[in-house]
Amino acid sequence: MEANLEIKKETTINMSRRSGSVGGVLKILLFIFISALVILPILITVFASFKSLPQIGSESALKPPTSLNFDNYKEVLKSTNVFIAFKNSTILVVASVVINSLLSTMVAYCLTRFDFKLKKVYFAIFLVGLIIPGIVTEISRFGLMTNIHVYDTLLAPILIYAGADLMQIYIYKQFLEQIPVSVDESAMMDGASYFTIYWRIIFPMVIPATATLGILKAVDVLNDMYIPFLYMPGVENRTLSTLLLNCIQDPRTSSIPMLSAAAVIVMIPTILIYFIFQKYIFSGIAAGAVKE
Amino acid sequence: MFKKNDLKMQKNFVLVTFLFIPTILISLFMIYPLINLVVISFTSWDGLSPTKTFVGLTNFKKIIFDSPEVWVSLKNNGVYFVGHLIFIPIELFIAFLLDKRVRFSKMFKTITFLPYIINTVAVACMFMFLFSSQDGVLNSMLQFFHMDKIGWLSDSEIVNYSLTGVSLWKFSGIHIILFLAAFQSLPTDMIEASIIDGASTFKQFYHIVLPNIKPVIEIVLFLNIRGALQIFDIPYVMTGGGPNHASETFTVQTINTAFQYQNFGLACAMAIVLMIIIIIFSIIQKKLFNLKG
Repeated sequence: MEANLEIKKETTINMSRRSGSVGGVLKILLFIFISALVILPILITVFASFKSLPQIGSESALKPPTSLNFDNYKEVLKSTNVFIAFKNSTILVVASVVINSLLSTMVAYCLTRFDFKLKKVYFAIFLVGLIIPGIVTEISRFGLMTNIHVYDTLLAPILIYAGADLMQIYIYKQFLEQIPVSVDESAMMDGASYFTIYWRIIFPMVIPATATLGILKAVDVLNDMYIPFLYMPGVENRTLSTLLLNCIQDPRTSSIPMLSAAAVIVMIPTILIYFIFQKYIFSGIAAGAVKE
Repeated sequence: MFKKNDLKMQKNFVLVTFLFIPTILISLFMIYPLINLVVISFTSWDGLSPTKTFVGLTNFKKIIFDSPEVWVSLKNNGVYFVGHLIFIPIELFIAFLLDKRVRFSKMFKTITFLPYIINTVAVACMFMFLFSSQDGVLNSMLQFFHMDKIGWLSDSEIVNYSLTGVSLWKFSGIHIILFLAAFQSLPTDMIEASIIDGASTFKQFYHIVLPNIKPVIEIVLFLNIRGALQIFDIPYVMTGGGPNHASETFTVQTINTAFQYQNFGLACAMAIVLMIIIIIFSIIQKKLFNLKG
């Protein structure tokens, strides 16, 4: 009965918000349980990164470290090139985001504002892109990378990340469709060229979308291990992901406390981005799925 | 104002300059590799030599008739697929509650999605410690309750389930957010009307919300097929496919075939087989889904 009364409230917004009801408490408990499942592995790793190897063996993993002992971090900084990896990852992120947002908006502009022969081909490519299993097709892309002499350079992943992100083009297309063509037309009356319309009107108008998609892209690029792993085996070209992969394989850094410290270092950038730009990330994902 | 002819020229100029680079990049990095994939699959290319010997359907025959390990690896992918499939109703329910039906829903939403944002290699590191057979967290807990240790990553019977657990931890959040976005895009008056009619939470969910988010459920089901059949990072980093190939997934095997055994021809054929499997599964699932709904 209690639950029924509650539901009859006028809006769903306030539903079950009343504390004290049995259902409300159960729900909270469920979410506390879920939160624990999410947070505990992360917390255990952070704890382990401040402990020494003997402590790991003798203490409970859930016991917080007695002091903030940064030895593991110092050791990771000494035996790996975190700064170079950080620099490489940053270059990849910036280049991919900038190039991708320009190219994607340009394609989306053409697709939404003009009719042309290749248009149908473009839409067909979108469909094909959805079905292609990216991971295995990388095998045939591999030969190409060596042929155009970008293998083991930062250019290889940049070309892939920035080149053909069909999903992003698709989402931009959705946003551009919402801008009424009358906006273009009135600018034309004032003598603006198509290029001016794109650069002075359309591009600025989709900046919110660019923020969203750029952040999503940045997280993707930062977290991707596969493409740098395949195309940039060189030590000087390691990214944060491949650096950590190497830490697992290198006996000097593969102990639990060292690995934990390295993992924490690698986790930090994306977690920071997430907490600062959460709103954009959620709206970007929603735009990709719901509007289809 | 521009004259009509002028405008047409301008349009063509914009089309050419704007689409030139993207078209080249898409052709070079998507279409050409796709064609190349098909071509190489009919050869015995080793990835290095300048000549590619045509071998016809040999690679495909080998996969289908003479590679039991490929089918075993597909069974491993099946574990991920079923694991995530079982979780979809749970994810739907969690998303439904997160749609302002629980206190602190904003905070819980942030936490639920957090794993998806974390670097997969870092996630692998975290769980390697949890699963470790010596000082591992889970085994210490078992010992605390006087139970036998479990070889989470070293027992070939268990390893795939452990890895699926990691995959669930990492990827459930994205499904929940997608469902949540779908819920939030529903017009509120629709639900309000049902509340006034006295529909219970369950009835609201089953009769009103569920039918209206069908497209998103379909997308998630498709993403699940794609994701489960392509799972690579987690097994590759955490076990390398071991112990004794027990946790090799289809993609781990494909990549090893290409880069470890230098058999690019066979690997490309495997890629095509995978693509066909994804398409077939998607069609079957779509049929089943529409039958039920």
